[in-house]
Amino acid sequence: MHRTRRPRSLAARLAWLIVMALAVLFFCVPVVWLLLATTKTDGQIVRDNPFSFGSPTAIADAWHHLYAFQEGAILTWLKNSALYTFGALAITLVTSIPAGYALALTQFIGRRMLLTITMLVMLMPTAAMVLPLYLGMNAVHLDGTIWSVILPFSFFPFGVYLTYIYFSSNVPADLLSAARIDGCSEWQVFRLVAMPLAKPVIALVGFFNFVGNWNNFFLPFVMLPDSSQYPAQVGLNNLLAASPLFNTSGGAGNQIMRPELALATLVTIVPVLIVFLFSQRALVAGMLAGATKE
Amino acid sequence: MTTHLATERSGRRGGRSARNPVGRAGYVFVSGYVLFLLAFGVLPTVYAVWLALSNSRNQLVGIGNFTRTFTDYRFGPAFLHIGLYLVVWLASLMILVVLLSLMLHGRMRRASTTLRFLFYLPGALAGVASVLLFLILLDPAASPVGWLLKGFGWNTLAQVNAPGHLPVLFTVIAFWTGAGGWIVVMYGALNSIPDEILEAARIDGASTLQIALRIQIPMITKWIAYMLILAFAAGTQLFVEPQLVSLASWGMIPDSWSPNQLSYQYAFQAGDFNGAAALSIDLLVLGLACAALVVFRTGLFDRDER
Amino acid sequence: MNSDVPVTSRRQVRRVAGAALGAVSLLALSACGSADPAAAGASASPVTFKPVKQEEGSQITVWADAARVPGVQAYQKAHPDVKIKIVTYSGDANGANDLQTKVRLFDRTGSGWPDVAFSANVNDGSWTTQGKTPFAAPVDKGLIPQSTLNGFAYGALNPCKFNGTTYCLRNDLAQNVLWYNKKLLDKFGYSVPTTWEEYEALGKKVAKEHPGYLVGTAGDAWSPEVYFWASQCPASTVTDGNKVKVDLQDAKCTRMAKLLDSLIAQGSVSKDTVFSAGFVKNQASKVLMLPGPSWYGQVLFNSTFKIPKGQIAAASPLKFQGDAKNYTGNVGGGLWFVSSHSKNLKASADLVTWMTTSNEYQATAGTYPAYKEAAVAWLAGQKKTGYFAQDVGPVFQDAAELVWPGWSATQYSQEAIYSSTVVPALNSGKTLTDTLGTWQTAITDKAKSLGYTVN
Repeated sequence: MHRTRRPRSLAARLAWLIVMALAVLFFCVPVVWLLLATTKTDGQIVRDNPFSFGSPTAIADAWHHLYAFQEGAILTWLKNSALYTFGALAITLVTSIPAGYALALTQFIGRRMLLTITMLVMLMPTAAMVLPLYLGMNAVHLDGTIWSVILPFSFFPFGVYLTYIYFSSNVPADLLSAARIDGCSEWQVFRLVAMPLAKPVIALVGFFNFVGNWNNFFLPFVMLPDSSQYPAQVGLNNLLAASPLFNTSGGAGNQIMRPELALATLVTIVPVLIVFLFSQRALVAGMLAGATKE
Repeated sequence: MTTHLATERSGRRGGRSARNPVGRAGYVFVSGYVLFLLAFGVLPTVYAVWLALSNSRNQLVGIGNFTRTFTDYRFGPAFLHIGLYLVVWLASLMILVVLLSLMLHGRMRRASTTLRFLFYLPGALAGVASVLLFLILLDPAASPVGWLLKGFGWNTLAQVNAPGHLPVLFTVIAFWTGAGGWIVVMYGALNSIPDEILEAARIDGASTLQIALRIQIPMITKWIAYMLILAFAAGTQLFVEPQLVSLASWGMIPDSWSPNQLSYQYAFQAGDFNGAAALSIDLLVLGLACAALVVFRTGLFDRDER
Repeated sequence: MNSDVPVTSRRQVRRVAGAALGAVSLLALSACGSADPAAAGASASPVTFKPVKQEEGSQITVWADAARVPGVQAYQKAHPDVKIKIVTYSGDANGANDLQTKVRLFDRTGSGWPDVAFSANVNDGSWTTQGKTPFAAPVDKGLIPQSTLNGFAYGALNPCKFNGTTYCLRNDLAQNVLWYNKKLLDKFGYSVPTTWEEYEALGKKVAKEHPGYLVGTAGDAWSPEVYFWASQCPASTVTDGNKVKVDLQDAKCTRMAKLLDSLIAQGSVSKDTVFSAGFVKNQASKVLMLPGPSWYGQVLFNSTFKIPKGQIAAASPLKFQGDAKNYTGNVGGGLWFVSSHSKNLKASADLVTWMTTSNEYQATAGTYPAYKEAAVAWLAGQKKTGYFAQDVGPVFQDAAELVWPGWSATQYSQEAIYSSTVVPALNSGKTLTDTLGTWQTAITDKAKSLGYTVN
């Protein structure tokens, strides 16, 4: 098996290496720059070689300035973001995984209609949904509460589709009918047969839901009236707006310059990367589990 | 309740219906999602459609908002921009994502895990967080890719952001942040193809290219179709990239470059939610047309009855 | 195996599409209202302000940007009996319209407005005063005494005025002056110009004798406000309510366009923007002169360009030889609004007054106070920093009174139009004079789209 997997010719191997190297450069160079930027002063970022390393103390300085912004507001933002995204993540998984499963592997009247409506809603520009959602939240008196963010975050048609496609192309219906013939209830079929096979898709859905919500700016911006409720993206926006780089009206008293913004950026994406690594593990583990079953 | 359903079914017809039980179980499984779909999908959409068909005094105006926004001086350019962008964006996304996924797949598991992580990295940088990055990245004087920009003959921020460059520029940004996620999805899809099939093909003497074209791509058609629909919709709804670049270039991008931005201008600058909704419905119709085409071509909605 | 599916689906779709088409045409036929938003009378004649029922001592919500929040906190400390809730938001800096976005939504639900709002966007003075129930409460109808309003610099409250009523207080001014690097100027043996003609001649001389050195930039979003406003160009003159005059072919516009074109061609006026990394890296130390707002001193020269102490000085705005007096423009300046929906107008008005007029806060603020008395205290503080080569006080105070009143704040941003229309054209090799037509169209179209009548 290993013999056949290896690239046949040197040329093919070389081509593979070159394409991958280019791709890595394309995706990573800006990120590397961002990492290095936190080690430099504002002047160094602009004037020095983009890939020079500043000094570790610069990171500490940047962190002090960042932390001093609104007395540690950055931590509040992260905490809020975590609350909204994990809250929504739980609800999303509970609702969309069974739904995707049912759409793929059970038959019921309205299945096709549900798929169509899901698609239709998914294609609706989000900008158009803001006013209706805002009015809706206001009508049920949830405006200004954390639910006005968590609940819309929990509606994740993208995930339902991922699950649907996953189950419909990866889990043979025969497997389920065999379980049914063995006397499993529908719930048992789902829990004992489908769920163990669903790990990769759960990881995918969970991950995309988390990232989408973590990076969502507009909905929390519109829904939340209080700066103590802001999640990281809205907070970052305020941080940008407070920087003399963009806000000349604030005068020169403010310490939020390029290194601080770079650091704030990194701090807010760390959770996303951690979740990515975890979900990747589940993705691979799930695939291996599937392989041993075959 | 579930046991009740099961007993009801276990004694029923065999054959095809045993594989595709028609019953209430499906309803139970989708019920939670349907609630959310109604509350946060269908209702807002219906309201948006109503907005598009009415005026600020809640009177029905028919297609008035559509004709009114159609004659707006920004309508034509915005849709032209987005058309150009879509061509570049869809072509690059479809080809490169599938290509990179295929190349990653089946070769050195460990390296491919690392590579997928590296490709995904920029995806975490979507939104506001990346403004600072573009502030520097697009300015040849301080950019880490300054040599490249200068190589194109662009020596200032304004030259990089010249109107003619924008569709490509936004594609690069969107690809940079979005491709990694799709590569993960495609990789997962490729992984679900049983090794035996590929192995058999190899033994039959099929080349890597033949395997990719005749086996792997056909077997992940549904995933590609799904990506195409969403990428098309996301492309027509382009909003974030022009906003970010505009912010990072002190306003060099027109505030209504894309239709979705125009819709935003209608809603929040002019306070005209009806015109804004009409523009959004235009985009929805475009997205639906693409989706319908893809769905019928690929059988995305059909259940696979292998 | 599924050969029949596409057919049925197509049939289904055709049926659905047919039904939808029918429904739409039915709707179109049964339409009875007008789709024209202007017909709603959104910008009709001035409405008389009727306060909502007041609740004495009730809590007020204050929206401010991060730079202004410490000031609000200082007010809270000095007035512990007032109940204040502070919300930090972007302050509409850098052309954002967060306040407007939120207020549009609040207007739909009829709740949620802040009692007091700060905005760093001077154009916010326009939309807040219009509509069926304008967001801003008039401040000159008993809310704030006329004597206080009279204490602001000449014309400082113009962006707050609509149909003769004042709707907000000005936080700071950004009057333009002629910045120059005294050390360099002395070294080169030049003297500070006092007219635009001398400025142009000097620019040409610099290009010849010291190529690479700059006397100005034309690629900033606020270039129209620096050059064209000072030239008294009628690019944005609101004449009456929603009527705006835009005439870029006026001789007062073309003279400035020609002047800049000649200097751009010579190379002593840059097409870049002063905040771009490229400019900071390569050109900042070569800035000999730079017409620009009062905040350039600290924000640009000191903290961005990092020009050492004792080099930078400011001179009075330039004059055209043929004009009777010199005028200048203004780049931004924050506004404080009291909401017309506030249940505690008294406390709100008091806070707004304190924020804009008290020395306690304004003397140490980042930018030049619009309130004259506070400006004196502020300038004393600037002198103490010892950054400037000469006291900028007299020049700043002088310039504050020279802002040409013919340039109005509008719902749209002149800066956004200039930087997205004119700057790309300049960088593609066109001259300003060539671009005036395109620019005119861009302003006219945008103004019309927001319900202005353009003439």
